[in-house]
Amino acid sequence: MPGKSRRDFLKSSALIGAGITGLSSSSAKATPKNILSPDRMGVLVDTTVCVGCRNCEWACKDAHGLPAGDLESYENRKILEQKRRPDPSALTVINEYSPGKYSNLPVDVKVQCMHCDHPACVSACIVGAFTKEENGSVIWDTGKCIGCRYCMVACPFQIPTFEYDKAINPLITKCDFCFDRTKEGKLPACVDICPVEALTYGPRMELVMIARDRIRRNPDRYINHIFGEAEVGGTSWLYLASKDFNDLGFPELGKDPAPGVSESIQHGIFAYFVPPASLYALLGGMMWLSKRRKELEQEEKI
Amino acid sequence: MKKIFALLLIFLITSTVTAQMKLGKEHSKLNISCQTCHTCEVPTKNDPCLVVCPREKMVTIYQKPEETPELIVIDQLKDRYGPVYFSHRLHAQMSEMSGGCGGCHHFNTTGPILNCNSCHETSRKRNDVSVPDLKGAYHRQCMDCHREWSHSTACNSCHLPIKEVKGTEKEQIAQRLKGRAHPVVLEPVKILYRTESDKGKLVTFYHDDHTKKFNLDCISCHKQESCSSCHDVNKKSSDSKTKVSDASKSKLSFEVQHKNCISCHKDDNCTRCHSDKELMPFDHQRSTGWTLKTYHAKLTCQNCHGSKIPFAKIDKNCISCHKDWDNETFNHAVTGLKLDELHSELGCDDCHADNNYAIKPACDNCHDDLSYPKDLPGKLIRK
Repeated sequence: MPGKSRRDFLKSSALIGAGITGLSSSSAKATPKNILSPDRMGVLVDTTVCVGCRNCEWACKDAHGLPAGDLESYENRKILEQKRRPDPSALTVINEYSPGKYSNLPVDVKVQCMHCDHPACVSACIVGAFTKEENGSVIWDTGKCIGCRYCMVACPFQIPTFEYDKAINPLITKCDFCFDRTKEGKLPACVDICPVEALTYGPRMELVMIARDRIRRNPDRYINHIFGEAEVGGTSWLYLASKDFNDLGFPELGKDPAPGVSESIQHGIFAYFVPPASLYALLGGMMWLSKRRKELEQEEKI
Repeated sequence: MKKIFALLLIFLITSTVTAQMKLGKEHSKLNISCQTCHTCEVPTKNDPCLVVCPREKMVTIYQKPEETPELIVIDQLKDRYGPVYFSHRLHAQMSEMSGGCGGCHHFNTTGPILNCNSCHETSRKRNDVSVPDLKGAYHRQCMDCHREWSHSTACNSCHLPIKEVKGTEKEQIAQRLKGRAHPVVLEPVKILYRTESDKGKLVTFYHDDHTKKFNLDCISCHKQESCSSCHDVNKKSSDSKTKVSDASKSKLSFEVQHKNCISCHKDDNCTRCHSDKELMPFDHQRSTGWTLKTYHAKLTCQNCHGSKIPFAKIDKNCISCHKDWDNETFNHAVTGLKLDELHSELGCDDCHADNNYAIKPACDNCHDDLSYPKDLPGKLIRK
């Protein structure tokens, strides 16, 4: 990732700020300048295949230089009794749910960044640190990040986490789709280690076809829904399951891209100088009220 | 097409299991569409034009577990762990009750048993990701069952640690598995099912009557058992001869609950099995009205009723089974009455009117003042 210091950012933002004052607000409706490649990659997670071995958790930590411990220690299934979320110490986690329609075995669900096709984090990032890459991954430039945590608020899956326990230089962390590994032609670490290949890495378009084919051939095994095919405008990570996704910790989301929602709120507030105009109106009103009260008081005295 | 040839070639070269079945001309007579496996109209030996896996409608192979290889060493993918020494025959025996060979050997052709790597590629990074790779395929076969009964996904329950594998190890393990068969499954004598039926709340199922007397195979009822119904680390073994099962809380449908019984008891009414009290085991006299005596009691059901299950009712006439009996060949002594010289010359129907042996034999055809059993036509050798 190209390094850019905070000084550079402040310089550029001062210039942009100077320029923007001369522009009308209507031209500032920006959408991320990230082109969606038709060849972008994805992962199909088949939760009916996953056995919950948690090897992916270990491999992820190992690949990202996080303290991972022994692979054998991940055989402890006690940890699956509680629902966990990704955090700076674990960018992906497995959660276990009660059995679905297909088998009497529990359903295990891997949680990590979904790598949206229209990522809300990219849109919300005020410094442009986030990008949707050609290979489908949504990554960010830690050098640009100012730690505003807008991405955390914007994400419909609540994936980006913040190193709250670090006093100095806390960073945003999340799954980066093993950007560095895939660049070298390797598979994402979790996909590589999965013993049952519950995670299938391939072109997203192809994965959608494969997922549809699996549902068609095994209607008893799967519910007829590919999570991520349409949710928030589509995600690079796709899921198949034997029970409703709402019962597997997935949020209920519409088909509209998440930035549409966050952008319309942000732009709505700031369009046509509404905040400054309303501030002036409020102050003016207060002045007018206090002035009138003074006048009334004086009239009473007379 | 080159790819298919390459796969076939790999299969031939790497085949560790000798092909147990030959793909003969006979397979064309099987009741499946040729298009299931072949893409062209006229497949030849040189160009079988096989469709790529997965082939959706596929017949499965069947072999007796005893004919299958005892041990298979799975070591194509040594990575983080050592090879797996797979006790194939033992697993084949267990699979008899849970899906059979086809549970693992899915999408097989009608002929030789294909190796997993003839469809599943060894590399995870590949062009066609619609079929799992070899590592995924192996683990999918094993881990669902293994985690069901062990409640664990521990790698070392199958894999040897990579550092401990030495040259002689294979022989040692092969020696240990040699001749190892699944222990005899302990059967319950009877199972009492508590039900909510208004025809009777209790169903008494005599398991050993069905297996020992009626000679039913385990798999005629237990086809799709889950591994954990026998193997579960949390399950306490029970030595009790009588099992009690509460079927009243079962979520299964009426059809599913009665499926196994109804295949034979389709002409019986509910009270044949349902009652408010425990029923008695099978008794030939009570159920059929025919008492099995001296000779017949020693026979198996199949001797008279044939092997077809459910057993059909048979004619009570001796001749319907003993087809070779006539005046010449029948030795009357087997009935317990040895005929004297004079009477042994007579025909059967001289005493047994209309060849009906169920009613009292008549003496008045020849004798005015004699009657059976007061007077006998010979010597009683057995009561």
